Amino acid sequence: MTQKELDYYVQGVTSQNRLVMAKTITLIESTLPAHQETARAVMDALLPHTGKAVRLGITGVPGAGKSTFIESFGMMLTQKGLRVAVLAVDPSSPRTGGSILADKTRMEKLSVNEQAFIRPSPSSGTLGGVARKTRETMMICEAAGYDVIMVETVGVGQSEVAVASMVDFFLVLMIAGAGDELQGIKKGVLELADAITVNKADGDNIDRAKMARQQYSTAMHLLSPPSPDWSTPVMMCSSLTGTGLAEIWDMVLKHRKIMEEKGELERKRHEQSRLWMWALVKEGMEEWFYKNAQVVNLLPLIEKEVVGGRITATSGAARILSFLQNYSLTTT
Amino acid sequence: MAEHPQMKKWKEQAAKELKGKPVEALNWESPEGITVKPIYTAEDLEGLDFVNTLSGMAPYVRGPVGTMYTNHPWTIRQYAGFATATESNAFYRRSLAAGNQGLSVAFDLATHRGYDSDHPRVTGDVGKAGVAIDSVEDMKVLFDGIPLDRVTVSMTMNGAVLPILAGYIVAAEEQGVKQEQLAGTIQNDILKEFLTRNTYIYPPLPSMRIVSDIIAYCSKNMPRYNTISISGYHIMEAGANSVLQTAFTLADGKQYIRAAIDGGLSIDDFAPRLSFFFGIGMNFFMEIAMLRAARYLWNKTVSEFNPKNPRSTILRTHCQTSGWSLTEQDPYNNVIRTTLEALAAALGGTQSLHTNALDEATNLPTDFSARIARNTQIIIQEESQVCHVVDPLGGSYFIEALTGAIIREAGKIMDEIEALGGMAKAIETGMPKLRIEESAARRQARIDQGKDVIVGVNKYRVKDEAPGEVLEIPSTVRDEQIAKLKDIKSKRDSAAVKKSLENITKVAEKGGNLLEATVQAMRLRATVGEVSDAMEKVFGRYVATSRMISGVYSSEYGDSDVIKGLQKRTATFLKETGRRPRMLVTKMGQDGHDRGFKVVATAFADLGFDIDISPMFQTPDEAAKMALENDVHIVGASSLTAGHKTLVPELIKKLRASGAGEILVIAGGVIPPTDYDFLYKAGVVGIFGPGTSIPDSADKVLTLLEQKYLKK
Repeated sequence: MTQKELDYYVQGVTSQNRLVMAKTITLIESTLPAHQETARAVMDALLPHTGKAVRLGITGVPGAGKSTFIESFGMMLTQKGLRVAVLAVDPSSPRTGGSILADKTRMEKLSVNEQAFIRPSPSSGTLGGVARKTRETMMICEAAGYDVIMVETVGVGQSEVAVASMVDFFLVLMIAGAGDELQGIKKGVLELADAITVNKADGDNIDRAKMARQQYSTAMHLLSPPSPDWSTPVMMCSSLTGTGLAEIWDMVLKHRKIMEEKGELERKRHEQSRLWMWALVKEGMEEWFYKNAQVVNLLPLIEKEVVGGRITATSGAARILSFLQNYSLTTT
Repeated sequence: MAEHPQMKKWKEQAAKELKGKPVEALNWESPEGITVKPIYTAEDLEGLDFVNTLSGMAPYVRGPVGTMYTNHPWTIRQYAGFATATESNAFYRRSLAAGNQGLSVAFDLATHRGYDSDHPRVTGDVGKAGVAIDSVEDMKVLFDGIPLDRVTVSMTMNGAVLPILAGYIVAAEEQGVKQEQLAGTIQNDILKEFLTRNTYIYPPLPSMRIVSDIIAYCSKNMPRYNTISISGYHIMEAGANSVLQTAFTLADGKQYIRAAIDGGLSIDDFAPRLSFFFGIGMNFFMEIAMLRAARYLWNKTVSEFNPKNPRSTILRTHCQTSGWSLTEQDPYNNVIRTTLEALAAALGGTQSLHTNALDEATNLPTDFSARIARNTQIIIQEESQVCHVVDPLGGSYFIEALTGAIIREAGKIMDEIEALGGMAKAIETGMPKLRIEESAARRQARIDQGKDVIVGVNKYRVKDEAPGEVLEIPSTVRDEQIAKLKDIKSKRDSAAVKKSLENITKVAEKGGNLLEATVQAMRLRATVGEVSDAMEKVFGRYVATSRMISGVYSSEYGDSDVIKGLQKRTATFLKETGRRPRMLVTKMGQDGHDRGFKVVATAFADLGFDIDISPMFQTPDEAAKMALENDVHIVGASSLTAGHKTLVPELIKKLRASGAGEILVIAGGVIPPTDYDFLYKAGVVGIFGPGTSIPDSADKVLTLLEQKYLKK
């Protein structure tokens, strides 16, 4: 990589050039080793410019109205003069590898807003998976001076944990249902929540939304809050009419103020970085393991033994691990 | 009834003829999932309660009218709209003289979406795909010299239905024709817009209120007027098969009945004035059976509301031959297709018919192609002698059994919709849209594989075709409309107009009849855009959310070397360049036909592309921002209504201006071959007309990208 190339990315991003931002995100998403090397240098150079934005994670069950919420909430923020970035991850087909990225069809106004930057990404296609892409994309947006970064995630799987571990504030969207509110979303996801908001509180749905809010409030008492200085509020909003959105933003700011005063924000981010490094190490080890030529030869043999019932799964695993023990990290 | 006494023998004989293949191999699985057997007998009529009924009587399977065509043939009604009111008027007068029996008006997209011609969002849309109407003055020109008390007018309008219907009422009034004399139809079928065509303005709830206000106003003031034309045509054109078309259309109808009853009307006040609009495709017997089945199911559906007037339960329908079945390649074949479809509509018992012109796959009809289209019907009516018998196929074992099968299958889907709480609720869940899109993707896969034959497209292709004659819309239409708008606005009583518009806003908010309020405003020369804005203040403008299916195209196509080969190439592209080929598919302008763009999106994703989808109704500026922000390799712009010559070059210009000139741009859809050179010069690198197969277009796109990004 040349200095000129590095300058192109770093200066482009920090001077808020939309085109270069887009290309930088493509760079960090790339699976090519050469691109990854450049990406690392770019990210190192961008690091001093990061850290100032409010990082918001937003999740909810399918149908909770996440995209519509982001559209309305994002529009409100831009009207306050803030610059907003939205990162959305769409699933890639495990069979064909392709993906359909349709988030912007649900964010019609925000997607054409000059104050906003929305980047949908396919979940596969990079070695680091969802988390790496999103985290680094978030940093790119921060370096480009975006004030608020929203990360959207589908609220049913593993990705919440990954997203919660990279944002300052994790918002869970709910809707009023028929008494089975808690079933659609994992309890673990609620434990990550810094706030819960019952969306679609409009029209003849208001009463049901109120009831749902009551139920969640009761339920939240049974869960431990994410921080000793913060108890998770349950709120109500309507992306359609805009009611409750300003209150949510005020609450996010209040949370930030408390966390900053108590030094928790800094601690949280440091802890996130530490965990992040270990996550990368784990990923790197796995990648290295599966790419190793001897492992590639060894695995099917041991697998065959286990499947054939000739040895137990435990001793199969032990054999693989003992191979690793005897294997010098310096040999490749 | 037992099996036909000779059936065993027939099967033995068939087995011999098939040289060992089982007789079941002759069964054909229709796109509807109905198994069509090689032979039908009286046994197949068992349990069918409508066989041997009569026309003009419940359940009306054999026809809504007793004598059917033996007394009056169907009405020849050709849908047409040229860019300006003056040109359209001249065309209507010519076609009335040449044997057309009613008028059918096509409006341009700006009008559909409630924008005046001077609105900045519609620069590419004015006068495209129909006539631009901004005010009563345009309406008066449109119907100049056409006696509205005698000629029935059908208007295809759903979004801006209030100002257009009001404009028609006022134009007639100023001709000296009273409201109660007016006969004709306004489409006013907003539910299907949310399903397929997307030319809505307001969200579903206020849109339904507009529908019921119109029904209420007309049942009081315009007793001869059909207040709604419940349309399956667009549902079919979006890719639905006959069963889906029947089920969704009738379920829409049921929803309108509920809306009108909720608005305080009794079923017999309005149900006799509901009319239908079906699309007729190439599946000849299926189309005939569909119309018969639809009449049966509608009779059953309306009967649930306990009407006193038997007319309330009768399905009367207009039909149009399928636009999707037309091909750009070897276009004279379209005359033959349209003839077969027209015959199917007649044998199915339609009340009026539009036959498509042979060049409608790519452009508006010329006078020549319009004449052939019209004559197709006249020849069937006057030369073929098919009109002498009511329901001539009634009693055919096959037709009756097929009718029964559609009644059964469509009935199931209607029950499913009922269980969801009716069509409005079903639309909210996205179910109907996904079913239609799935059906479309499957059909595309069958065509691409050659399972469904289209002559001139996937079989018997002609090499080196000469491009045909094309009707060009002059780009001055918008300027002319803008000048007229200025003129009207300078001459009218602005204070009175302002007051009338405020009244519309008030009625929208607080209640009252919106059509009544709109008629007052249009009389004072308020414009279509102003009236629409006055309501938008209260109702808001609707934004559709797209849900996408995936995996359907490749699963219908099955394991094939073609698909695998393309998947391998996208995988290679990933390996060599670090990411998959990424394409933005976008629709610019006010055209809402989204089948093509969705089929391409879902099929390309199945081939291993990362596909970005833009919201509908984009400006070139907005599409360029999205392409750049998502950092795509290539943009595919879909155009079906002649916006390509302004919007696509504008997009390329915007991309270049923002430093993203390396993003390739291709165009697809209804683009006349005569425009290809123009587009290539503007920087378009590939053009895909109707009938291009997915594997072909994917191959070309990949080749473009491989040339640009892969090491030689």
